[in-house]
Amino acid sequence: MARIAFAWELGGELGHAMACNALARVLHGRGHRIAFIFRELHQLSFLTDTAAYDIFQAPVSVSEGHGVPIPASFAEILAGCGYDRPEHLAGLLGAWIALLDRCKPDIVVSDFSPTALLAARILGLRRASFGNGFSIPPRLTPLPAFRFDQPVPPERVAQADARALASVNGALARFAAAPLATLAEQFETDEDFLNTFPELDAYGVRPEAGYWGPRLSVDAGATVHWPAGTGKRVLVYLKRDLPALDALIDALARGPHRVAAFIPELEGARRERLAGPARIVSQQPMRLAPLLGECDLFVSQGGNVSVGTLMSGVPQLVFPSQYEQYLTARRLEQIGAGSWLAPDAPPQAVAQALERALLEPRYAAAAKAFARRYPKYSAPEQQRRMVLRIEEIVTRPSRWPALPRPGATPILTPT
Amino acid sequence: MARVLCAWEFGGDLGHIRRLIPIALELRASGHEVCVAFRDSAFLESARAEGFEAFIAPLLRAPRMASQSPLSFSDILLNLGYDDARSLAGALRAWRSFYELVAPDVVVADYAPTALIAAREARIRRVTVGSGFSSPPLRDPLPALRPWIATDTNVLRALDDRLAASVRAALGAASRPLEPARELFEADAHLVCTFAEIDPFGPRDDVEYPGPQADGIAGPSIEWNTDDATRVFAYLKPRDPRFDAVLAGLRALDAEVIVAAPGLAAELARAASTPRMRVVGAPVNLDPLLARATLCVSHAGPGLAARALAAGVPMALLPQQLEQFLIARRIAAGGSAAMLSPEDAAPDFVAWLAALVARNDLREAAARNARAHRHHSFADATKSAAARISAVAAS
Repeated sequence: MARIAFAWELGGELGHAMACNALARVLHGRGHRIAFIFRELHQLSFLTDTAAYDIFQAPVSVSEGHGVPIPASFAEILAGCGYDRPEHLAGLLGAWIALLDRCKPDIVVSDFSPTALLAARILGLRRASFGNGFSIPPRLTPLPAFRFDQPVPPERVAQADARALASVNGALARFAAAPLATLAEQFETDEDFLNTFPELDAYGVRPEAGYWGPRLSVDAGATVHWPAGTGKRVLVYLKRDLPALDALIDALARGPHRVAAFIPELEGARRERLAGPARIVSQQPMRLAPLLGECDLFVSQGGNVSVGTLMSGVPQLVFPSQYEQYLTARRLEQIGAGSWLAPDAPPQAVAQALERALLEPRYAAAAKAFARRYPKYSAPEQQRRMVLRIEEIVTRPSRWPALPRPGATPILTPT
Repeated sequence: MARVLCAWEFGGDLGHIRRLIPIALELRASGHEVCVAFRDSAFLESARAEGFEAFIAPLLRAPRMASQSPLSFSDILLNLGYDDARSLAGALRAWRSFYELVAPDVVVADYAPTALIAAREARIRRVTVGSGFSSPPLRDPLPALRPWIATDTNVLRALDDRLAASVRAALGAASRPLEPARELFEADAHLVCTFAEIDPFGPRDDVEYPGPQADGIAGPSIEWNTDDATRVFAYLKPRDPRFDAVLAGLRALDAEVIVAAPGLAAELARAASTPRMRVVGAPVNLDPLLARATLCVSHAGPGLAARALAAGVPMALLPQQLEQFLIARRIAAGGSAAMLSPEDAAPDFVAWLAALVARNDLREAAARNARAHRHHSFADATKSAAARISAVAAS
């Protein structure tokens, strides 16, 4: 039995919590002890079967987001998440070290958790990255830009990298840890569970051997059936603060389509506007597999759920609400399996895009063609292998040297 | 020896760590094992640099809407995220796991109500520390924050009930039966680290007053240059909308002026300085300045207000928020200060400040305050707070 800590430090979506929970459930079932170290604790209320887990707050910066408005590289994301000053980062890093040193996990599974990886490095803990392409940067120097919609000057990328590295090394010095030669070293792991498709990778295609496929569990959640009828079937997974949500609710409520929707914590009044004989509004995450089996359109904001449902061959309509989602939306557009709209698109545009996505056969054709590209992909098999890989890592001695802890025996001890 | 956790959840500024870190140091010096949990990541390193294990405190999701003028402590907590049972449930679970991890014998809560509720559920001993505002009188209902405005008891009770219902929903089936909101915040000791007369809810019998403490973090030391001139010390937030006008008023005084404006950029501080007015963008060591100041201008933060009171310095107070307003109101009522509330129209600050410098009544009242507190030892206040916490841990 191993102690397995899931760390989720950056990125604010239910998808992170859901993905960690799906993997943790299997590991827990095999007798391992689970700790969730999460940035957003309210997401626990949407997860089932976590009662036996230890739950901790992930150290996150109070001034998060005061960095670069539209980041172009991982280093620019870090700038707004506590990596602005060595002192601030040292506080966050110290909090991760304090927690991990007390929990003593056999492995840290890092979901978008760069500082947890750094703490695990200092403690000599085994560690794995677990996420989509955006959260696991290629280990290059400098960490490359992920923006592909417009050119990013190389010097901007290099400067951001150097600044973040200076903060990291300034913080490491406070822990008497050796400096990193490159920021990429921070992301060294025992395994990268790169849970996406090469075609959807924010950084473009990397060597194929590294891809594990999407990490969405389509078999978890409340069982919901499509309402009876003849309308097209529209599956909706959105957040209630999406500016275009009211326009979409109105368009769906006016139209003949059948709807199954999960919009976490949707207010009663808006739920009533959307719900109807042909339209189900679930208050819990829905089990997606049976719904996707006969679905005409999947509407989301382009998070994990969007990549995760791609293998079902269902076309998508995406309202990307932050940069990572925007990159996913653009990749979907590239492969032809979906279209996207600005998160604050006006009502008429929303209604038109909805009809077009349902009527134009090219989206469905491209989505089906994409699903046929990986005929042997199996989500259960992927999960089985990830679990086996984690168990393989934890049964071997850690390959990472731990720093001597305060109070350790000095190297020279006179007798 | 005991394991002590010092927790800070809400409230900004330096006041909380200036209180908690000296107490933590004192507890450690007496042999206790101490760790801290702070919500504000920017202050974790200052605790870690003192050798403490410094954890992040569980965070609540920021509410989508908040009332502008909270009526009671319950209302404040609802504003801070307690209306959101999902978020509160997550935070309480995280405190529970955290307590299992560090196994504290006593939790010292500095504006840390969720830590307090979780410790209550886990049957861990607890002590609140603060300057009074964050430990309101535990009456039923929790009292109105503005006693000079008539507030319907039923409204207060409804706020308490909403708070208690949210906590109960968050704790789930395992929680104790619903009780009045005040019971959630009961502790083995409530230590109000200020003078009773500037406790926003004081003086009162159900708390202990170790009194104000010495500064945990001393800034650079600045000395007065002159012996005979009027000497005005100001401690102002650069973001206050009145900042520039107050600075202009200070500059026009016939006085030597020292302004501490923490957060002001060095070049702006230099530009604002004159031969008779030095502006620094950092906290400063207060003792040498207050000892010889003729007027202290501030926002009525509890720490500085108590020190100026004990030093016998008349005050010009410009509170920015409710806690400061309540403190300023008390000092003004005691006769040693004049105040401007955030809603008051800005006066001609040159004339306002010059008139205050000249007022004998302020000086006399300030001198009375100094006499009343002449036996107070700021260093001993930390020791007695720590001793009380030790006693609770040993009980």
